[in-house]
Amino acid sequence: MDNEKKMTDKEITAIGAGVAILGSLLFYWFGQFISTIELLELAYGSLNFFNNPLTF
Amino acid sequence: MLNSLLSQYTRSLILVAVLLLIVILEVLEVRAAIYPGLLPFFEWARSSSWLGLIGTTYGSIYATVEAVHLLSMAVIGGTVLATDLRLLGVVFRDLPSETLTKGTHKVFSAALISAIATGIFCAAGVGDKVYYMEVFWIKMLALVAGSLFVFLVKQPLLNSMPHDEINPWTIRLLAVTSLLIWFTVAATGRWIGFS
Repeated sequence: MDNEKKMTDKEITAIGAGVAILGSLLFYWFGQFISTIELLELAYGSLNFFNNPLTF
Repeated sequence: MLNSLLSQYTRSLILVAVLLLIVILEVLEVRAAIYPGLLPFFEWARSSSWLGLIGTTYGSIYATVEAVHLLSMAVIGGTVLATDLRLLGVVFRDLPSETLTKGTHKVFSAALISAIATGIFCAAGVGDKVYYMEVFWIKMLALVAGSLFVFLVKQPLLNSMPHDEINPWTIRLLAVTSLLIWFTVAATGRWIGFS
């Protein structure tokens, strides 16, 4: 007795495309986050949001 | 055996072929080779095409078309939020998701056509500027990927059977992917505006 439902072609395509696109977008936005942090560190020496040397 | 596999899993095999093709094109640096050849087209769009000429000559027309572009993007955002948050079970839980997805898809398609048509006009007016922007190309990539995802992957699956027969994790993956794709299109669009 096989109670498990066989996945359809459309379901496999949806999972494959979803994983590929979601993975790529997460990779892109994570990269943007890291480069933003690096820019902030370059500008302020270290991340210090509440004691910003440019705001007196 | 092979014929049965090909006919049974046509879409999956096409997806694998497309992903392989993308990897091969990237390894062979085809994208980098094509990029410089596109500059004359963008310069022509900005300086010589009638779209570019209208856009750069009449600021009021450019602003009006851009407003329609932003409204179309807002409608896309609304339909995507309504559809995908319903698929995630967050909003409109009293409505059948089959009814909602079919209804919003028609509005989404019309808004997408409008956004693309007005977007071409807007890009033509600043063709020589957007060509050099990485974020413009990210938006185009996300737009193409999002459109193909919606019309060739998401809707065919959602229309093929009652949603409660689809694995809930597959539905969640579809919804989250769709939300992130259209978030990227919207965010990179605004990024172009602020660059």
